[in-house]
Amino acid sequence: MTDKTDHLEALMRQALGGDQRAYAKVLQETSRFLRPYLAKRLSFTNETDDLLQEILLSIHKARHTYDGNRPYKPWVYSIAKFRLQDYLRSHYADKLHHADDISGLEDFLHENVTESVISYESISGEIGKLPQKQATILQLMHQEGYTAKEVAEKLGMNESAVKVAAHRAYRILRQKLDK
Amino acid sequence: MGNINELINRLAHDNMTVKPAPHPYKLSLKWMGWAVAYLVVALAFSGVRPDLPAKLHQPMFVAELAALAGIFITTSLSASLLSFPDIHQLRRLAFAPLIAFALFLLVMFLAWQADNPPAPLPVHSFQCTLGITMMSFLPAAWIFYVMRKFASTHYHLAGCCALLFAFSIGAIWLRLYEVNNSIMHVIEWHYLPMIAFGIIGLWLGKNILKW
Repeated sequence: MTDKTDHLEALMRQALGGDQRAYAKVLQETSRFLRPYLAKRLSFTNETDDLLQEILLSIHKARHTYDGNRPYKPWVYSIAKFRLQDYLRSHYADKLHHADDISGLEDFLHENVTESVISYESISGEIGKLPQKQATILQLMHQEGYTAKEVAEKLGMNESAVKVAAHRAYRILRQKLDK
Repeated sequence: MGNINELINRLAHDNMTVKPAPHPYKLSLKWMGWAVAYLVVALAFSGVRPDLPAKLHQPMFVAELAALAGIFITTSLSASLLSFPDIHQLRRLAFAPLIAFALFLLVMFLAWQADNPPAPLPVHSFQCTLGITMMSFLPAAWIFYVMRKFASTHYHLAGCCALLFAFSIGAIWLRLYEVNNSIMHVIEWHYLPMIAFGIIGLWLGKNILKW
């Protein structure tokens, strides 16, 4: 294990000296031990490779902060952890944003939509002007009577994404009809 | 996996000889050297307080300057360590400013106790904060510019230490320049604003040092 680690430090020293082959080797070794570390922490997504690429780019950008005289792995892991935290922060921020959209939709869904005086047919012209995906969702839900869950299955989306898209479409239509 | 190999090949192809960053001790010494030179030049322009030789015989004043110097040295060291992604694997040293601040608070408390009867408050107030801010602006801008060339993974703390380092220069300058014996005034208009700027440094670090 120590030999292997020493080996990484020696490779990195050569890499800092401009040795491209040593640099490729050290990056390959790095990606080999970082992949399981990331996969374990990102089991809910399939973006491990994307993050690994970002980490490798960060290592490349910060390689002047490594001098080859101290252990290599703690240096690499500190960069990997930093990028992982960044990723998780933005991932959960997106989720929160998504949840805000859903809660807005819930307010809207409390309104009585089934007894609306506006029928699908009467506004089909406006629906046709919506983006393709939103128009399809409204058509499936209001003309053909599918539930959001069924639409999601049909279009290969998740249910909440369908609800959000429908909500956005309603908002656009409402603005247009108010005019 | 194919993308990763492709990226590795591309990065390896781009690799050229890289000059490693200097050791944080060396970096910190360099920063302190420049800061002391700046302080000397500033004092040469502004002049020193006329009662400085007498003040240097007062233990509380010397202790206050020593505590400020402690903040100056430890924040410089900590900022340089925090510029490295792995804190140069000297994590404990990066917390040295905490000890310096504890000593500084102790000195302030003792100085406040010793200020009996209290020295008269000077007529000015916020002008001191303004003076320290103006004096610290250049070192602050310079240290952030230098630190951006590194790769801090603790950018909040790095920003805080950088700004405290810069403001400690301003605080030392004002203590050596202004004739003022009121410890209450010094705490209120010199040191509390300095700490407030340290807190602003947390935010600045996030915005300036993020990479």
